[in-house]
Amino acid sequence: MDRQEKPAGLNVGVLEKRWRLPGRKYRVIYRSVLMENLQYAANIALGFFGYFVFIFIFVKLWDYMYRSPGELIAGYSKEQMIWYVMMTEMMWFGSNASAVGRQVKTDIRGGNIAYLMNKPYHYTLYILAKYTGEWSIRLPMYAGLAAVIGTVMVGPVPGFRLITVPAMALCIVLGLTINAVFKICIGLLSFWIEDSSPFQWLYDKLLLVVGTVFPVEIFPKAWQSFFKLTPIYTVCYGPAKLIVDFQPEKCVEILAAQGLYLAAGCILMFSVYRKGVRKLYVNGG
Amino acid sequence: MLTAVKNQVRVCALSIKYNIMREMLNQVTFLMNVTFMILNNASILIQWFILFRLREEIGGYTMREIMVLWGLTAASFGLSHILFARVYSLPELIVSGKLDSYLVQPKSVLLGVMTSSTDVSAIGDLLYGVILLMVAGLSVRGFLFSLLFVVTGAVTLTAFALLLGSLAFWFVRVEMLSGQMVMGLVSFATYPDGIFRGISRFLLYFILPVGMVVYHPVHILVRFDGGMLFTVLVYACLLSAAAAAVFYRGLRRYASSSLMEARM
Repeated sequence: MDRQEKPAGLNVGVLEKRWRLPGRKYRVIYRSVLMENLQYAANIALGFFGYFVFIFIFVKLWDYMYRSPGELIAGYSKEQMIWYVMMTEMMWFGSNASAVGRQVKTDIRGGNIAYLMNKPYHYTLYILAKYTGEWSIRLPMYAGLAAVIGTVMVGPVPGFRLITVPAMALCIVLGLTINAVFKICIGLLSFWIEDSSPFQWLYDKLLLVVGTVFPVEIFPKAWQSFFKLTPIYTVCYGPAKLIVDFQPEKCVEILAAQGLYLAAGCILMFSVYRKGVRKLYVNGG
Repeated sequence: MLTAVKNQVRVCALSIKYNIMREMLNQVTFLMNVTFMILNNASILIQWFILFRLREEIGGYTMREIMVLWGLTAASFGLSHILFARVYSLPELIVSGKLDSYLVQPKSVLLGVMTSSTDVSAIGDLLYGVILLMVAGLSVRGFLFSLLFVVTGAVTLTAFALLLGSLAFWFVRVEMLSGQMVMGLVSFATYPDGIFRGISRFLLYFILPVGMVVYHPVHILVRFDGGMLFTVLVYACLLSAAAAAVFYRGLRRYASSSLMEARM
């Protein structure tokens, strides 16, 4: 009876399934990786030492550089500068983005891509879902550690308001996703050159030196406008800047830039992948 | 005795030579790895140019001393990873029971393991380090001393990694910790010791051997000190002996995983 009431061709269940299916399979991948990583939380905690070493060095460095209390360097107080580095390093260590590029490179070099590309998902989105599952455990752990170390070593973030946390969290998530998309793009270069690692090093070092260790404002004025056009602005500078000095208009500007970067990055990623798989040779095995 | 040592050194040299030749099979990849590693290291200088715009000296170091510091660290790290890259993945070999193939060979197990792999990008690190030492404005005598410190630095770094890696004979989760300790050492080694005070300075000279790898050598190159030179040389020898002793002590506890593996 109910069936007769529904017009032919408008089976809502089927339609829902069709629309939900693409997102659902990536959610399943995400959930399974998340559950897997929960088992290894203790292993993740072993990585805290590396993070602590970096933060310790930068606390000592900025302690030395700021000679008088209240001094400003590039508009940042000592506390803001140290918190900035802590936040960018938290994203760096907590996301372990180098694993993304490494996995893409290994899949292509080792031939595993031949199996993965035939699965009922898009390879690049599969990597992205897997990566998101990985950092969903790591990042909160590092965030907790950063909060404890920061509060003990330099005191609370000046002017921090809890109400701004959701906007900051969104900026961090978008920043990590944009970074992963670019790292996948670089990893996909392995279709043409055997080893894409050298390009990953340069990309990572650019992010590290320009956006992670220092805020963009510390560079000469002419360089700043250039850096604001690079991924540095959306991946590390933007989210960290909001944490140490939140301004609603800055937040909107950064979110808009992130939206544009994510869209452009995804288009680039899909087109590089499409061109790359055409070049694929399978040697058997 | 002398012939045995000569043969052992010859086998090690051949092993390293073939490792590098294997990596050079794809010449484009090889050259790209080396060149980009040099560029990668060079980009860090930007950080120091920025910091020296803010202060004329940092922790008692000027740009010249920073270049010597970076040169020694990069070259020592590079040399160690070219000759003894396997030391840095030793815990994995031990835990997964992959040492079997080294045990049956008619040569020193430790040297066989240590020289069984080469990190090709480390050639870029070594070249970058040597170039930096050449342009840092050292005298000829200073440059020759810096080459000696590259060797002592590489030996100390390798011995430290071997010592920590050998702990995997007793403890399972050493792999990550030893990797972090070695990278921690390298991270500290790229910043002037003058910014560290109190307990942290003590740790850098006596627990993590950063002082022996780079800080003492930089001080010697700035102002020669025979006693300090003697300390650096003796420390490198003692740490190497201690690391080898711990490795062989641990090897007695090694249990095979019956994994079929061949070394070619």
